[in-house]
Amino acid sequence: MSNVNGKVLKHGTQTRTMHWIHLLAFIILGLTGIGFYWDIGGIASIFGGEANASLVHRWAGVVFVVGPLLYVLLNFDRFSRFMDSISHFSKDDFAWLKVMGGYLPFIKVDEVPPQDKYNAGQKILGWLIIIGCLLIILTGFPMWLWRHSVPAVFLAFCYNVHFWTAIILILLVAGHFFLAAIHPKSRVEFSSMMLDGYIDAQISAHHNAKWFAELKESP
Amino acid sequence: MKLFHESEGITRRQFFKGAGMLTVAAVISGVFAKFGFDVFAASDDYIAKRVAGLYTLDESMAIRKSHENPEIIQIYKDFLSPGKVECVSPKAHHLLHTKYGNDIPGFIAELKNPHLVHEAEPAANEETSTEEPAA
Amino acid sequence: MSTVLSDGVIHVSDDCKACDHCTFICPTGAISGVLGQKHHINPQKCINCGQCLINCPFNAIYDLSKVEELKKVLADSQKFVVVQEAPAVRVALGEEFGQAPGTNVKNKMYAALRKLGFDRVYDTEFTADLTIMEEGTELIHRVYGALGVAGFENVGPLPQFTSCCPAWIKYAEDNYPLVLPHISSAKSPQQMWGAVAKTYLAEKLNVNPANIFSVSVMPCTAKKYECERSEFIASGYQDVDLVITTRELAQMIKDAEIDFMGLADEEADRFVGLSTGAATIFGATGGVMEAALRTAYEILSGESLGKVEFDAVRGLDPVREATVEVPVKALGTSLPVSVCIVTGTKHVAEVIEDVLAGRSNYHFIEVMNCPGGCINGGGQPIRRDTY
Repeated sequence: MSNVNGKVLKHGTQTRTMHWIHLLAFIILGLTGIGFYWDIGGIASIFGGEANASLVHRWAGVVFVVGPLLYVLLNFDRFSRFMDSISHFSKDDFAWLKVMGGYLPFIKVDEVPPQDKYNAGQKILGWLIIIGCLLIILTGFPMWLWRHSVPAVFLAFCYNVHFWTAIILILLVAGHFFLAAIHPKSRVEFSSMMLDGYIDAQISAHHNAKWFAELKESP
Repeated sequence: MKLFHESEGITRRQFFKGAGMLTVAAVISGVFAKFGFDVFAASDDYIAKRVAGLYTLDESMAIRKSHENPEIIQIYKDFLSPGKVECVSPKAHHLLHTKYGNDIPGFIAELKNPHLVHEAEPAANEETSTEEPAA
Repeated sequence: MSTVLSDGVIHVSDDCKACDHCTFICPTGAISGVLGQKHHINPQKCINCGQCLINCPFNAIYDLSKVEELKKVLADSQKFVVVQEAPAVRVALGEEFGQAPGTNVKNKMYAALRKLGFDRVYDTEFTADLTIMEEGTELIHRVYGALGVAGFENVGPLPQFTSCCPAWIKYAEDNYPLVLPHISSAKSPQQMWGAVAKTYLAEKLNVNPANIFSVSVMPCTAKKYECERSEFIASGYQDVDLVITTRELAQMIKDAEIDFMGLADEEADRFVGLSTGAATIFGATGGVMEAALRTAYEILSGESLGKVEFDAVRGLDPVREATVEVPVKALGTSLPVSVCIVTGTKHVAEVIEDVLAGRSNYHFIEVMNCPGGCINGGGQPIRRDTY
């Protein structure tokens, strides 16, 4: 399969749209959140002061929830296939993790084990993002809508969980961005999610061999 | 050029995984809500416990009525209303009673200069208290 | 000295995370700021109750502390330092030393205060009893006045409000000046004690009142404000010189490395330190009412109460009412005394509106600013209970 020509549609329009919406909301949320949690006045003033930054943060939070939620409900099949893929860990995935996908310079590896549509690292990232988003959403809304009625101890709990989850998510997303857009081994993936959705068949056959074997050819 | 794509539709297993994830998310939300509710219910318990502590202490006291406190009887007899127990005696009124709001400046003047006639003097002094409301 | 009076006791620190929780806690709308914007307390509107302080999720609200000043005074051998402690302190102080809420540590508290260097240790409960005598008598006079008994024409209107809570007093002064004639003229127990300490006690102990330094341990931040109000000079001096909270007392005990729970029990000193059960329950909502009823009933009826508990006035609901049938010996009739208890200043406005509009048929209304009474005051140990 080393000489396959053509293109693979890796991420459909809906998926890419959702990814963009979620990403933009995340960036706005991160900037505003950092701005008013650490009192970095410069960041808050981009959004028109602390109070407005908070308002932007809350409504960006709504987008952050509604975007993926609509996607899941309207594209339940895509979501289900995604969940199936990231929840299936085979021997190859563990082997991939053992060599860290060949990304680390001090682990020499000739050929990484064949992977599904998402490699083992992406599967773990998927889970962490899902759990992180759940936590940040569940703690975020009480801080906004029930801030007056919940007890102080619960509010403090929400702020702490929200804060630490945000820190972890920002680091994860930064790592995700580095591997998917900058790292020479995998930056070819960038266009498949951020632009037209297509990736070279040859690259897919190499990086996602198991998945590529299941693909159908368009008539 | 050849174009490849995933097959449409989902298998049974994929459906259960997708639906399962939604269920798990719902359950986590429920557990979180339950946690919040329990915290809400328990966060004020200490108030009732402290109140109960006072009532328990009351029950353990030998004397439970103010007018039976021997030191109260003594302060009236020795000091506030010499020889008897008379509440709101002139001395008790001077030491134990106060005034509020706009009456305070005059009251202070009276305290500082006891020879002034009661409440006759308007507030012509520098001690106008800052906490006083603009009535 | 006017810092507390003009700038208030309660302040928001830079740790404020702008979570906006406190704006709902505050009964007077003194806290400005919206979600995301650091909050600020307007000292003119603030009644210094400290409820925002104990309910701040980030401990970003603080009260002005006089602990350092107190430590200097305690080290000064010229000063004769006397101390009073409010009823609510004794059932909460233990929490700072690992005890369950409601654990009575009264006798260890007396011992700890002596160890800290106070020359005499007394008890606010003594003047709580004195408050009942004065305030109860005033109430009886007002009832006589309302019934048209000769000699009680100029005694003030009914209903009578309690006057023990300095946050409530400031709330009424700031917002409802018309209700002020209804408030009992009796001082709060803390201020009565201050006035008595520098007169009666000085006389009894033969101490120059100028050398007496009167300290008060309170569950309350508003008491810090109350003691500096300029009218409390009846003794010829500032009646109460300094107030610390339950939390600050616990901090002083910890700073002095006293093994609090290991202390032997001690009693308060004589003359102004003996307490009764009636005074003890002053710290709970309904407690002032119950203590007043115990005394008023016995004095008016001339009979002894079989059961001293008035369960009808107990509870934690923000507004409670009850009617107690009191036989009045002097008039030869029985009088249904109608009382109301308000805990939480948020709920007092409707009661006041009713009184001012003449719709209220209560005789006596107890108001405590903090939900549950002084035991949940702004100076009490901060609890972050889950379950």
